[in-house]
Amino acid sequence: MEPAKMASPKSAPKDAQVMAQILKDMGITEYEPRVINQMLEFAYRYVTTILEDAKVYSSHAKKSSVDADDVRLAIQCRTDQSFTSPPPRDFLLDIARQKNQTPLPLIKPYSGPRLPPDRYCLTAPNYRLKSLQKKVSSSAGRITVPRLSVGAVSSRPSTPTLGTPSAQAVSVSAKVGTPVSLTGQRFTVQIPSSQTTVKAATPTTPTVQNVLINPSLIGPKNILITTNMVSSQNTSGESNPLKRKHEDDDDYDNL
Amino acid sequence: VVVEDQPDVSAVLSAYNQQGDPTLYEEYYSGLKHFIECSLDCHRAELSQLFYPLFVHMYLELVYNQHESEAKSFFERFHGDQECYYQDDLRVLSSLTKKEHMKGNETMLDFRTSKFVLRISRDSYQLLKRHLQEKQNNQIWNIVQEHLYIDIFDGMPRSKQQIDAMVGSLAGEAKREANKSKVFFGLLKEPEFDVPLDDEDEEGENEEGKPKKKKPKKDSAGSKSKKQDPNAPPQNRIPLPELKDSDKLDKIMNVKEAARRVRLGPDCLPSICFYTFLNAYQGLTAVDITDDSSMIVGGFADSTVRVWSVTPKKLRSVKAAADLSLIDKESDDVLERIMDEKTASELKILYGHSGPVYGTSFSPDRNYLLSCSEDGTVRLWSLQTFTCLVGYKGHNYPVWDTQFSPYGYYFVSGGHDRVARLWATDHYQPLRIFAGHLADVTCTRFHPNSNYVATGSADRTVRLWDVLNGNCVRIFTGHKGPVHSLAFSPNGRFLATGATDGRVLLWDIGHGLMVGELKGHSDTIYALRFSRDGEILASGSMDNTVRLWDAVKAFEDLETDDFTTATGHINLPENSQDLLLGTYMTKSTPVVHLHFTRRNLLLAAGAYSSQ
Repeated sequence: MEPAKMASPKSAPKDAQVMAQILKDMGITEYEPRVINQMLEFAYRYVTTILEDAKVYSSHAKKSSVDADDVRLAIQCRTDQSFTSPPPRDFLLDIARQKNQTPLPLIKPYSGPRLPPDRYCLTAPNYRLKSLQKKVSSSAGRITVPRLSVGAVSSRPSTPTLGTPSAQAVSVSAKVGTPVSLTGQRFTVQIPSSQTTVKAATPTTPTVQNVLINPSLIGPKNILITTNMVSSQNTSGESNPLKRKHEDDDDYDNL
Repeated sequence: VVVEDQPDVSAVLSAYNQQGDPTLYEEYYSGLKHFIECSLDCHRAELSQLFYPLFVHMYLELVYNQHESEAKSFFERFHGDQECYYQDDLRVLSSLTKKEHMKGNETMLDFRTSKFVLRISRDSYQLLKRHLQEKQNNQIWNIVQEHLYIDIFDGMPRSKQQIDAMVGSLAGEAKREANKSKVFFGLLKEPEFDVPLDDEDEEGENEEGKPKKKKPKKDSAGSKSKKQDPNAPPQNRIPLPELKDSDKLDKIMNVKEAARRVRLGPDCLPSICFYTFLNAYQGLTAVDITDDSSMIVGGFADSTVRVWSVTPKKLRSVKAAADLSLIDKESDDVLERIMDEKTASELKILYGHSGPVYGTSFSPDRNYLLSCSEDGTVRLWSLQTFTCLVGYKGHNYPVWDTQFSPYGYYFVSGGHDRVARLWATDHYQPLRIFAGHLADVTCTRFHPNSNYVATGSADRTVRLWDVLNGNCVRIFTGHKGPVHSLAFSPNGRFLATGATDGRVLLWDIGHGLMVGELKGHSDTIYALRFSRDGEILASGSMDNTVRLWDAVKAFEDLETDDFTTATGHINLPENSQDLLLGTYMTKSTPVVHLHFTRRNLLLAAGAYSSQ
């Protein structure tokens, strides 16, 4: 990005002029104009945070007003928390000495790709398909599973009674632990109602079968997506078996 | 390990207990200044080295003992006298006005704990000592003894020019004894191959270079003598991976290409092919090219890593497991069959990092790619599936550079936490930690024999580390700005370094001396590379030029010098202009990477910047 021209000093507010002067004093001559805005925002946010913390400490110490000690304490706590710096040199020399004492490990010959134990690699699948009923033929942990089923059912106003044709209950648990080797693919698991067997024993009738599994690349959330729905949660019923319902997205919150 | 931050810091800072009356500091300093300016010409240059460290230490002492106004007037009066190359440090120093400021600044703290090293001839030292031990100058003598280390050498006092070439680092120069340990800079013996017959059981001769042979074989264009090079490390000094069949085939290709290699020289300059990254609005931050020049990778500020194929052959990934089981494993072209044609493309984008990618490195066997990023991790990518295999976490701060070892398996990374780490691809923790730099490690390179690692740092020094035991075996000072590029000569004897000051410095590793200074560039040098046989050194810089230097001539005059002298420096000739063979300008494209192909064609890479 090209360095744009700086705003003329006449029109800039005093704070901005001070900030520009600080940058000049520290020897920074080339910068984009929005750097000043960013620095001002940071300064404002930092000072506000410190003063708020100082107020808390001062009221904790039952003082009538905030004094310099409170501010000093607030600064110290925030520095340890937000602005960590690399370890001090003697600590580094110490751990280096420890680490460098162990001899280099010998290399096993003819061992294929040399990677750490699987636990430390990113090569494992980051989701697992778990079926609750034995009739489900899907095996766990395969990408091929979504391809098996065809068609979708929409939710029906079904009561938790026997006799209602219930679709299969497929509980999909997706554990996103570490970033995965798969690129972001959306797998739509569509379980047809035609393959259902009436499992009379189950009190809950799964209704919604559209499940979107989105293994996210970033973020260590555990996403447990289940299609075991309590029927009362379903709103409108639709007899068209192929129509998808967008309320399905609510399902993610039900665990 | 429990880190006790606070006690350490105060122990360090208590070294600044009151040394005399604060109001008289200006008197002490100006007294010393007067003495040095009146001394003999031959001694003046050497004694002037004292100004900067004394100035900084005295200023910091005033600040620590909370004499703010005295500190301020001391700074105002004397900061203009310092050498120009210290101006950046002085600017940082000017912002430290209170005692509290000192506690947060790691670099200043390290400056305190490590004594500033000065190298002075014996005569000059005697002169100084005699003067300072007179009564009224006792305070300065105390400060000198406490914070400076004076490394005395016997010999002629150095001229200003000689001194200017070698000072500039954050901790002064290097003590002579720091550069005296033996370094095995020779190359490891390569296995020999009979090229036409593709004969492959020659490893027996590889062990220790012993002359024993099972059956007589023809020598290839490799090593002629079977005696062990005394400067080369033993073959098994560090464990190295064995050669696989594909590696042997690669080596045979290498030998074949070497036979067709262009012999470069002052009258035969290489052709330069420049790869310009257009529309790199993502911010190109790192580039690497494979050894056989078939693929190029770019690391970008938007955290992506992009791999391109340079040859007409497209990039393919292997088939899925289900399809792999169907192919015929015995067929000759099995390596082609495992590739999935549907995935063929010229570009592959690798996502995974969460910060700008600052360093990339291909493995020698072209199976893996490393990338290191501001998010503190180094990632290993497979170039057969184009997916991420491992994330190595260790640096918790931005990692500035990474490189695979020339034999694969090991790699080194250096970052903001001021250490470089040696890893192996099958260990999730580093094998070695190279600690000692005072500021960020900005550049890491392996020696061609994989037994040593060179690191360049923002503290303006270059250090050479031994992989076997993690010791620092060489410290090279002389740059006036952070070091951003390093290159070993193919014969392993010399090291070239480039920094933000625009100079390329040449070092003799065995003797631990600076043997050349190449001036010409006007901006940071980000790329340095020797040609395949070491005849030409190419340097690429932010000033949009590529310069070629005559490496043979730069190193040949050394044979006649007697530099086993204990002085630690040799007379550097002013021959930059003679050594410069050519300057090639680009149209506003800073040069980020240089690479000599196996036939000595020079490839360069950079992102077009439209200013």
